Amino acid sequence: MKSSPPKLFLNFFRWFCHPKLRDHIEGDLIELYEERVKELGKRKANQKFIIDVLLLFRPGIIRTRNQYSFLTILILMNLFKHYLVVAFRNIKRHKSFAAINIAGLALGMICCFLIFLWVRDEKAIDNFHEKGKNIYGVYQTYVHNGGADGFYITPMRYTDTSRIYRLEHIEKNIPEIEGVAFYAAGYDLPWGHPETFQVGSKIFKLEGSRANENFLSMFSFPLIAGDRNTALRDLHSLAISRKMALIFFDSPEDAIGKSIRFENRIDMNITAVFEDVTPQSSLQFDYLISWVTQEKERLDLASDDIRSYVLLRNNADVHATEANINRHLKSLGFTMLDGTINIGLQPFGERYLHSNFKNGKPANGRVVYVNIFTGVAIFILIIAAINFMNLATARSIRRAKEVGVRKVVGSSRLYLINQFLGESILLSFLAFLVSILTLNFILPLFNLFAGKHIVLPIDQPLYWLSLIGIMLFTGLVAGSYPALFLSSLRPSSVLKGVVRFTSASIFFRKGLSVFQFSLSIVLLIATVVVSLQTKFVQNINLGYDRENLIYIRIEGDLNLKYAAFKTKAESMSGIALVDRSTETPHSMGFVTSDPIHWEGQREGQLVGFKPASVGFDFVRLMDLKLAEGRGFSRDFATDSASAFIINEEAIKEMGIKDPIGKWISAWRKKGQIIGVLKDYHTGSMHEKIRPVILDVKEYEYFGVIMVRTEPGKTNEALASLENVCKDINPNYPFAYQFVDQEYEKLYQNEKLIAKLTNVSAVLAILISCLGLLGLVMFSAEQRTKEFGIRKVLGATVTNIAKLLSQDFIKLILISFCIAAPVAGYFMHEWLQEFEFKIYLSWWIFALAGGVALLIAMLTISYQAIRAALVNPVNNLKSE
Amino acid sequence: MKKYQLGEFEEVVLLTVGVLYKEAYGVSIKKDIETRLSRNVSVGALQTALRRLEDKGYLTSYDGEATEERAGRPKRYFQITALGKKALEYTKSTRDELWKAIPKMALNLKMIG
Repeated sequence: MKSSPPKLFLNFFRWFCHPKLRDHIEGDLIELYEERVKELGKRKANQKFIIDVLLLFRPGIIRTRNQYSFLTILILMNLFKHYLVVAFRNIKRHKSFAAINIAGLALGMICCFLIFLWVRDEKAIDNFHEKGKNIYGVYQTYVHNGGADGFYITPMRYTDTSRIYRLEHIEKNIPEIEGVAFYAAGYDLPWGHPETFQVGSKIFKLEGSRANENFLSMFSFPLIAGDRNTALRDLHSLAISRKMALIFFDSPEDAIGKSIRFENRIDMNITAVFEDVTPQSSLQFDYLISWVTQEKERLDLASDDIRSYVLLRNNADVHATEANINRHLKSLGFTMLDGTINIGLQPFGERYLHSNFKNGKPANGRVVYVNIFTGVAIFILIIAAINFMNLATARSIRRAKEVGVRKVVGSSRLYLINQFLGESILLSFLAFLVSILTLNFILPLFNLFAGKHIVLPIDQPLYWLSLIGIMLFTGLVAGSYPALFLSSLRPSSVLKGVVRFTSASIFFRKGLSVFQFSLSIVLLIATVVVSLQTKFVQNINLGYDRENLIYIRIEGDLNLKYAAFKTKAESMSGIALVDRSTETPHSMGFVTSDPIHWEGQREGQLVGFKPASVGFDFVRLMDLKLAEGRGFSRDFATDSASAFIINEEAIKEMGIKDPIGKWISAWRKKGQIIGVLKDYHTGSMHEKIRPVILDVKEYEYFGVIMVRTEPGKTNEALASLENVCKDINPNYPFAYQFVDQEYEKLYQNEKLIAKLTNVSAVLAILISCLGLLGLVMFSAEQRTKEFGIRKVLGATVTNIAKLLSQDFIKLILISFCIAAPVAGYFMHEWLQEFEFKIYLSWWIFALAGGVALLIAMLTISYQAIRAALVNPVNNLKSE
Repeated sequence: MKKYQLGEFEEVVLLTVGVLYKEAYGVSIKKDIETRLSRNVSVGALQTALRRLEDKGYLTSYDGEATEERAGRPKRYFQITALGKKALEYTKSTRDELWKAIPKMALNLKMIG
């Protein structure tokens, strides 16, 4: 038996070889091959043959450009031109088809581009620091009976007079560490707020942070003026942003060395001016107060949330460093009685997307959303591509004859595949143009909507490459099936007028449609659930009246002159009642258990309370409901000294009965429980209701003044308040917040998700319907004759429309059956993030399914009725 | 300026074509070089060299018979032209002159070293 050399390589050789040389070199190759087969065996011979062919691929043997026969080029050029002409003619002739196709693809692309821009932006956050890959955030893993929790907490020890940071100067003990930076945002909840700065007569409130001297040299926030190594070293030194510099001074450079008054208390020296912090940074601040200032002047901390960042040396091993830090801290006595505590390091760039803890280690977080939406983007693009496939195949009846003729004339299958792929790439290119143009208009809207500052990175070649990549990918995927399908048609049967689709191909296309609709229904269900949950958390009865409620921070003279403020404000128009609280009521962040004891407390029993000190009218002002007892009252002389109010949850967790009159103590204050409040929400719906303990202290220097305005008189009330504030507290600008608005801000993430799911669902449904339209059109064309005969025999329009529709209704039902459990699972998972949530009841699914069905029906029936209305004469006369 | 350009490998090929005389075609040249000089010659290298030699006018070629073991492809036979012969002679004489020009001592030293 004669063996032949590897076909692929032989063909390759024939393709590249100069035609003049081809025959005799091929002869040589074959002769050698035959010999080698005899001597060395087939395998070796094959290998040598391949090597020979590859070595022949060199100039002198390869045909050069002009040796491709001029004729071939002419033919190829002509063919190409011809394909283009045919493609454009097709677009022109079937305008609606082309429009549907391009619109569908463009929609998919826009959606995909937007999501990718968003994802890109999310991933870029915090990744611009030069030393970024060596910066690690410190977290603590606290392992206690059976569980492990993680926190971003800086290890600290309190003495009577100061805080001791255990990581300070740790670089002296651990060689892998180059430096440690501390950072605390001054505006974080629960006690943070914009702080007041004054230069001359200019008074402004700005949001900033505190950081130690290493901060500016570790992170690369660009400096306009000043020395980044020493800027935050000294007492009262302050670094400010360009924006802040321009507010108070003529130019950024001008600000250096100037003095600025902080909170009407401390004069600070401006030692550096930095560029406004880019939105790509998760650390945001308009100014940085030096750490020494904070510690020496005992400035308020906004929360316990002090972050430490360590800078490792270039080749330091993270795990080894972690171990060293832990060993070092243990030796300093950093331990817990009831569990073990360990320090962990997380790469700084990962912190933004991975900020949730699982088993005490940073696990996921925002990255979940990033991944989900990447998935959605890809799926929407796939839906759009599928759509294109369906439409193109639907059109194939019209194109079938063309294919037949082409084949008869001698076109090979390869040419046909190229032609159809080319057409789909052309369409996807048009869609690409449309989507790029639209993107320019949409992006500002999108930024507004997603709270981003994305600009099109048009100067980056990689960006264009990836866009073009997406475009080519879409074109290829979308064109692949039609190209393979159309090119496989047999000319003999096509030209006879019979195009039969195998059941497999029909099944395939139906499968595509089911897939599309399943996805759309999943997204629809997600939309319904997310928007219901968002509505739910926004409209839930919090247990107090959050409408017409304003709060002002207690600052300056507001504390000392509170009584005067209250009397004056309450006498003014629009204001119903004034009271105060050490915590903002919609988001009480402080939870503590140690300082609180009560009658009947068991040994070692701890209950995490949210404590707040309020004024006498708090219960009335908030419109809280009492379950037992009474609220605070000026009529009882003892109320300010020894009265406490707790909530029902507190009683449950404390495990006491008949609470009224029992003693309870918080810190050094001891007194009786005089009332029990019905539970009300003191935080977002992500957390459960916690025990609350209230007492009266009208002299705390921090907290908020709360103002109940009369309904509909908000503007009057604000004007009155501003007057009173200017009068009583002239050194601070008047600033206020609405409780209901601040409450809604707790759900910014959810709102973003709601918006994104809404848009994706609408797009997905839209694109799927386009696909369905294609299928119906296809089916209607296939059955033209059948319908004609049916009509002649007496079928009504309704009969035929029904006949055509029912198949597709079935598809939608199948999609629903696939989508419902998938969506159910994901939404159940999502809802787990909430302590208070809607119930995933059946009607949500029914609603989504119903909407999908309805939209699909509308799409189908339009085509169905059109097909049914056609005069049978037109359908039947052609044969 | 060089009168006749002839690379080392080209020279070998040209000489082998001469050696094989009427039997010089791709495979036979390749085998001859491989056995005589015990060096591997790829079809690619050989064909390029042959092409270059033909372009320079040192070789001419004509189609031979098609045989079965070549799956019906014709052999292409090569012959040295007069110009080719001159080129060979020229190369040889320049080499000889160079050989003669080397002082005896230099060669000896070289060999000892």
